[in-house]
Amino acid sequence: MRRLRLRYSAALVAALIGVAACGGGGGGAPAPDAAAAGPPQRGGELTVLEDVAFAGGWPTGLDPATSTTGGANVSQMSAIYGGLFRLAADDDGSNARVEPNQAESYELLDDGRTVQLKIRPGIAFSDGTPMDAEAVAFNFTRAVNSTCTCNPRWPLAENGITVVDPQTIRLTFTRPFAAVINSFPVSNTNWIVSPTALQQQGEEQFKITPVGAGPFTVVSNQLSSELVLERNPTYFKEGLPYLDKLTFQSIGGDQPAYQALLAGQAQAYEGLSTTPLLEAAQQQGRMTVTVQPPTSPYVIQLNTKDGPFVDPRAREAIYAATDFEAIAQGLFRGLYPVSQTFTGPGGLFHQEKVEGYQGHDVERAKQLVAELGGLTVNLGTLRAYVAQQVMTALQTQWQEAGITVTTETYELSTLVQQFNSNQWQAMLQTAGAWDPASGVGVAFRFSSTSPFSGVADPALDQMLNDAAATVDQAERARLYTEAGKYISDNAYAPFGLAFAAANLATEGVHGPGLTTKIPPIVVNAGILWDEVWRAAPQ
Amino acid sequence: MAVVDAATATVASRPVGGRAGAWWLRNLEIAVPAGVVALVVLACFVGPLVLPVPPPVGGSVLESYLDAGSPGHLLGTDPNGNDIFSRILHGGQSSLTVAVAVNLLGLAVGGTLGALSGYLGGATDTVIMRVLDVLIAFPSLVLTLAVAQSLGASQTNTVLALAFFSIPAFARISRAATLRLRELPFMAAAQLCGTPGWRVLARHVAPNIAPQLITFGMLGMGIVIVIEGALSFLGLGIPPPAPSWGNMIAQGQQSLSATPMLVVWPCVALFVTVLAFNLLGETLRARWSGR
Amino acid sequence: MTVATRPGADADRAPGRLAALLASPGARLVGKRLLMAVPILLGVSVLTFWVLNLIPGNAAQQLLGPEATPEQVRTLEQQLGLDQPGYVRYLGWLGSAVTGDLGTSLVSGQPVTSQIGERLAVSGELVGLAFVVSLGLAIPVALLAAYKPGRMFDRVSMLVSITGLSVANYVLALLLVLLFAVELALFPAIGFVPLSESVAGNLHSMALPVAAIAFPLFCFYTRFLRGDLVDQLQGEDYVTTARAKGIGPGQVLLRHAFRNSSFGLITVVGLNLGTLIGGTVIVEQIFALPGIGQLMLQAINTRDFVVVQACVLVFAIVAVLANLLADLLYAVLDPRIRYGSR
Repeated sequence: MRRLRLRYSAALVAALIGVAACGGGGGGAPAPDAAAAGPPQRGGELTVLEDVAFAGGWPTGLDPATSTTGGANVSQMSAIYGGLFRLAADDDGSNARVEPNQAESYELLDDGRTVQLKIRPGIAFSDGTPMDAEAVAFNFTRAVNSTCTCNPRWPLAENGITVVDPQTIRLTFTRPFAAVINSFPVSNTNWIVSPTALQQQGEEQFKITPVGAGPFTVVSNQLSSELVLERNPTYFKEGLPYLDKLTFQSIGGDQPAYQALLAGQAQAYEGLSTTPLLEAAQQQGRMTVTVQPPTSPYVIQLNTKDGPFVDPRAREAIYAATDFEAIAQGLFRGLYPVSQTFTGPGGLFHQEKVEGYQGHDVERAKQLVAELGGLTVNLGTLRAYVAQQVMTALQTQWQEAGITVTTETYELSTLVQQFNSNQWQAMLQTAGAWDPASGVGVAFRFSSTSPFSGVADPALDQMLNDAAATVDQAERARLYTEAGKYISDNAYAPFGLAFAAANLATEGVHGPGLTTKIPPIVVNAGILWDEVWRAAPQ
Repeated sequence: MAVVDAATATVASRPVGGRAGAWWLRNLEIAVPAGVVALVVLACFVGPLVLPVPPPVGGSVLESYLDAGSPGHLLGTDPNGNDIFSRILHGGQSSLTVAVAVNLLGLAVGGTLGALSGYLGGATDTVIMRVLDVLIAFPSLVLTLAVAQSLGASQTNTVLALAFFSIPAFARISRAATLRLRELPFMAAAQLCGTPGWRVLARHVAPNIAPQLITFGMLGMGIVIVIEGALSFLGLGIPPPAPSWGNMIAQGQQSLSATPMLVVWPCVALFVTVLAFNLLGETLRARWSGR
Repeated sequence: MTVATRPGADADRAPGRLAALLASPGARLVGKRLLMAVPILLGVSVLTFWVLNLIPGNAAQQLLGPEATPEQVRTLEQQLGLDQPGYVRYLGWLGSAVTGDLGTSLVSGQPVTSQIGERLAVSGELVGLAFVVSLGLAIPVALLAAYKPGRMFDRVSMLVSITGLSVANYVLALLLVLLFAVELALFPAIGFVPLSESVAGNLHSMALPVAAIAFPLFCFYTRFLRGDLVDQLQGEDYVTTARAKGIGPGQVLLRHAFRNSSFGLITVVGLNLGTLIGGTVIVEQIFALPGIGQLMLQAINTRDFVVVQACVLVFAIVAVLANLLADLLYAVLDPRIRYGSR
């Protein structure tokens, strides 16, 4: 009897293993080449999965003036609204640039204190009303006055939003703000709503069924769950969008999303971050796996305003104790490069090396810790699977250098409190953006005015402000190089590997940013949904 | 109703000891599962001290994702390069501790409350049961997130949060079982004889309701271990990198298609343990109820 | 056949029984328990309000983000009514809840009733089907297993149940998808077809999520019921008596042991029926189901207390009804309980 039981349990275990393993196996054919896909085809439907913990959550709705999660919902927003500007790149991710989209052109005047936008003539919202300078000014004013974390926080002069003519709008700033154009694609102000539809529906209803001038219009919207869109027949680009129907669906993470794609219930997934699954998807062969050019490296923020890291030797000890190369190899299978500053290879002004950057050196770390008479650090991060793994690896490395490490994981809300109360010591985060001056850029993590910064250094503030203000690209590059070196010299925060999430698409699905490379705007690449198409089944 | 009376009349004088059977066989039925339970406990709590296993945390990240049977790593390593076998052993410590603590709390507090409520009836019953109803009706998700976000993740907080739900459950079962006993003649007889309430509870109620509570508790062992892992999705549970079977499963499933063994090993450990506990519980209760 | 000699045998004549229940002690019991539900619901809502207040942060801070000035936060708090003391907010909420108005979400501005309505239907269907399936399978399996304890069927059913109890439902959900959606392509991996659209499509889309929730329940119920049945058969004297009277073992099992064992089962089912709704959040996420668990999780994280409070109230009502049902079933099954609890 006893032996019988054992045999049964062994069979069950085998079944368990077999089922789990066969999901990863499959054909050995190489992924279809995006370039060899042939001309785009019109028609078809597409279901896109989004991680419920990030892009798949839109609890405050999809009105850009009140959506607190616009940075995560770039895909949904740009499918509905299009965008004044967009980030485009060559298929391999190079030559990335912000180009006018619903805007026709722009002009920086007065050393970057004024920017003049020209709106493309003849664009109409899907309710038929014109998208002109008046409408854009209405949107800008509404955004600036909104009580929302999405408020653009421009250094706007008094009455700084003016309509020059029916197609032209002018923004006037109190100080030079040359980075304004590059920051459009990362901010909610890029998305323009129909003022008429807003007034007709009322604010609350508009969050659910917003009206824009983008490639798709809203059919139904269940918050943080499912967004069904259909082709906007009055879209301003001839023949676009290709798809008839586009559905966004929230799902609980990489593994369920991968399975759903394998099962054929969805055709695309944005934001895959689990390395073993990425490899499995690549081997599986019937999917396009697009790893985007990384723009945002991991950074270990050190609180230099209070606690142990006021002492530069403690910060240097962390630099010396940290071995991101090993983490890149072990956890990420060497898929991503390690950065020494706040840019990644996919971003603007990237530099591979920073002169004098203190790399991994356990002996030096031990010596510094001994000099300090011991070092106790509380390291925290957001509660996400990959971030927690990196944090665990760091904890081990630091402990090897004789540092006592406790770790903590936070929800976004509790993380904010840690920063507000200034009680934190070290935080594993990501820094940088495609343009360091925009979004979760360098200032967000290093400027003394940012609540998410561990540094209060007027000299660094000056460099970062100058770099954001400067029109001349070469001068900006020089300033950012200088800032990177300054951060390294002062041991303000060690940088880690530059990570970018990957996109999965099933066979026959093509589109810029989905199956070609575009540097991520915030976390996910900005997919150009109007150009996404699906080959008709053979 | 004749049969009822005939049946219930004999309950009070129920024979203890039961059928005649092979003495050694009955002992084997206890000995084998008890042996497995003892082995699991020993492996988890003493194993790491005497076996040549690396620590469960602090592995080199360069040794990540090793296959089972790699030199020095019997079951391979996890994404952080930690030895999975060692994590199973150490994880068993937290998992078993949490499961036992939660079930004991439930059994002791909930069992007593339920028995009191069922036995005394009246206002006591109403008050206890309504308070417990409030707890039962209070969604676990709210409590879990509230504990996680205001107190933080720790073993103690996890036990407390889980006990919050095990206590009403045990109480309900205990009360239901007690109610079934209460109207039986032997209880009335005991009361008529002037036996004090606490004595009736201890002598007559407790032994009679214990089997059901024990089955529930033994089934609950596995459930508590699994739920502890699920809590890690919500920010509670044993905080990683410290291992527990539950959080190993919860983390491993994030890449199930690619690395199924990360889930399979802790599931196997859990399976063996739950099986042994259930067999043991079954035999114990069969004895108790006087087979 | 000595029908009249079984305890509570008149339960067989269901219609007449029901009428009798409505007329007298049963109806009084229901009425009493429904009255009891009021303090329970009050208790749950107070407890929820209190617990939510313990979590640091409020909706205004969440909406405005970390860069907001304290002035902005205060203004928005005033707009949302968050500046008032807890009891004032609670009483205000209670006042409108009594009239059926559950308020407006602090975060999305949508009426709460419209937000939870559809989602509750999804989760309710998920949990309801899971209970039907798990009980529908557990009862015959447990009876068969208990019929001849220690035999092959008993052993196999035990191994299956123990497996079910040691596999987390979220792992099971993933395995089910890998097997039935990816490999065999029998059921969809994600997606929800509303019942109003197509009954068959709805059941098809719910098959795997229901299985993921039902299987552990089935295992639990099977073990629980089987254990109790074996106890009844081997320990209880009325069984011996019945056997002595020449009643066949199958009859003894069904008519005597099962009837008595159903008490424990009802208790256990009543216990998790109420709490399971909302506890399905991970399974909902895996199958991309627009259920209520996800809504509540997000509402807690955005400190949208109005939504949380409404969800909790709905769950509490379900839990109270489930327990009431359990109590009524006790009464139906054993009249002594009914009179005893009066």
